[in-house]
Amino acid sequence: MTPQDVASAAWADRVREARDEGYDFFDWLSAVDQTDAEEDPGFDVVCHLIRTDPWDRVLLRTRVGEDTPLASLTALFRGAAWHERETHEMFGIDFTGFDDGTGHGLRPLLLPDGFEGTPLRKSFQLAARASKPWPGAKEPGEGGGERQGADTETPAPRKRARRRLLPPGVPDESWGPR
Amino acid sequence: MTVDLPTPRVGRAAEAAPQAVRVVLNWGRRYSLWVFNFGLACCAIEFISASMARHDFIRLGVIPFAPGPRQSDLMVVSGTVTDKMAPAIRRLYDQMPEPKYVISYGACSNSGGPYWDSYSVTKGVDQIIPVDVYVPGCPPRPEALLHGILTLQQQIAAETPGHARARSRPRPYAEVPASAGEVTRGLVSPPDTSPSAPGEDRS
Repeated sequence: MTPQDVASAAWADRVREARDEGYDFFDWLSAVDQTDAEEDPGFDVVCHLIRTDPWDRVLLRTRVGEDTPLASLTALFRGAAWHERETHEMFGIDFTGFDDGTGHGLRPLLLPDGFEGTPLRKSFQLAARASKPWPGAKEPGEGGGERQGADTETPAPRKRARRRLLPPGVPDESWGPR
Repeated sequence: MTVDLPTPRVGRAAEAAPQAVRVVLNWGRRYSLWVFNFGLACCAIEFISASMARHDFIRLGVIPFAPGPRQSDLMVVSGTVTDKMAPAIRRLYDQMPEPKYVISYGACSNSGGPYWDSYSVTKGVDQIIPVDVYVPGCPPRPEALLHGILTLQQQIAAETPGHARARSRPRPYAEVPASAGEVTRGLVSPPDTSPSAPGEDRS
């Protein structure tokens, strides 16, 4: 389904409007990292609402910049608290006016105690590869935890080619040799 | 008045036992493995399947559904071990009485499997507890678990009683046994009540 784009300033108002139109079943809220977008980089916060009778769904989306807070939906849907807490810990997005009735405010929900960082951001480094070679393989017969660069005759061009192929989150060579 | 008693050991007599007695002890151990299923993901379903009528690992002497870790000899870690779950696995493993064995069942508990890159998944349960047999697969078939159990039974038959964990030093963290004080803990008090109790402002 096509998401409806909402200005981030009108986020809570638009959701309230949708709720008053009958979309009063809060399904989920999450975010998408769009910090590498061409224009207006930031995070897409997406909210899925359902109207049960007659059955219909609506997907609302807004773009917030990095470190820009967004209005909380907990005053509209109490169940949004868990979703906003998860979005907060995974993406580092702040929700102003967050209130889940406990008075503790935005706090981590799922991550273990003492976890540092926001793991679903593309800028989050998955540090396992910095300490251990990746044991996987892209093709059958490859891999086995060997050092990828060890058996190459021409290291310089291959290294450059691999750097471009690094997926988000994989530590680059500035993390040191591995 | 409390008296500090040393941790009871059963290995002393067994270590000096003649070969015939060792064979009998190992024979008894290998065919009465009470298993504690640490099911964490879909591999646990295959484990349950292996315990049911078609594969039926009870015929190998593996008895499922031990009341808890304190009554079991074998722990099967089947599924994705997360960093948040890892302390619980270590704690329950430490509660098992010696001699104890671990089968790591499936790619996730062997090495992290497809979630190796994840921020939250432990790269192999052997980082926290010693593993005797690794069963590869994603998930492995129940027959693979049966083969893993047979492999473990061969290892038990070959070991010296009382020396199940005798390995060369320095040992990694996973193989250092915990003391009794580390696996018993005082009562945990409930968390502080919040400034405004939940539900007060609902009306």
